[in-house]
Amino acid sequence: MSDFDAELDARGLNCPLPILRAKKAINDLGPGQVLKVVATDPGSVKDFEAFCKQTGHELLASEENGGEFVFRIKKAA
Amino acid sequence: MTKRLKAAERRATILAVAKVLFADKGYHGVSVDEIATRLGVSPAVLYQHFPSKEALYEAVLTEIAGRRESYVEAVVAEPNDFASVLLRMTQVYARSVARDPDYLIMEMHSVLDGSAAAKQFFTNRWKSFTDYVEYSLAELARDGQVDPVDPRTAGLMFQGMLREALYAKCIEKSERFRDVPLDELVDRLVAMFLQAVGYRRTRSPRRPQAASNAR
Repeated sequence: MSDFDAELDARGLNCPLPILRAKKAINDLGPGQVLKVVATDPGSVKDFEAFCKQTGHELLASEENGGEFVFRIKKAA
Repeated sequence: MTKRLKAAERRATILAVAKVLFADKGYHGVSVDEIATRLGVSPAVLYQHFPSKEALYEAVLTEIAGRRESYVEAVVAEPNDFASVLLRMTQVYARSVARDPDYLIMEMHSVLDGSAAAKQFFTNRWKSFTDYVEYSLAELARDGQVDPVDPRTAGLMFQGMLREALYAKCIEKSERFRDVPLDELVDRLVAMFLQAVGYRRTRSPRRPQAASNAR
């Protein structure tokens, strides 16, 4: 059983595209659902922290795994 | 320079001095000895903080990049149409360059210097704009909101236009644009770019190319 409801592959994209695409993907989710994002831009770590702070969505996890950055974002109610 | 500075302060001082020298003469025009002499320390002190000249150069670039404002607010704020987001992003970038023109000078040096790390660094910075323009134009063309232009060429046009404007205002300090504030120059350039790609704020059915030039 996966711990996310939708997944976004943002590998190879630089800021602001991972944020922009995440914003659109989250729009399609219901409140409380989780989006998993995989990115390769190192700047995405700070970007997703700022994104969640500004939008009120919850950053459940932010991890690095072999050059890939994986985020789990829970849509605000 | 006192030898009693703490390591972090010393590192910051090294970066500040190195940045000025790299901006002035480019990567290959500056030696570790010269940086050390300017700091009043031996090269061995520099190597305690940075294993090589290239590592020092990359640290200078990374520190400058780290002070760049994020584009997140530009993307998240309203209105969120392509034109508004592009303008906000461009203003963020232009203001950060205006605050620290040495960055742009280092970018220009890097084109000729041949430092692979530097080239990659600057390419990544522009990629934010070129990716955003290319991705957005492809989507907007499907909705009939821009002319069917080649997104990669449009991205190149945007990058060239913006870099030239920043050069004229922030480095050359051209007489031709002395009376035009940077924000206003950016506004004008973005507006011209949007006109060039045939941007329309509202969706329309795709029309034959000849008809789509009518505004």
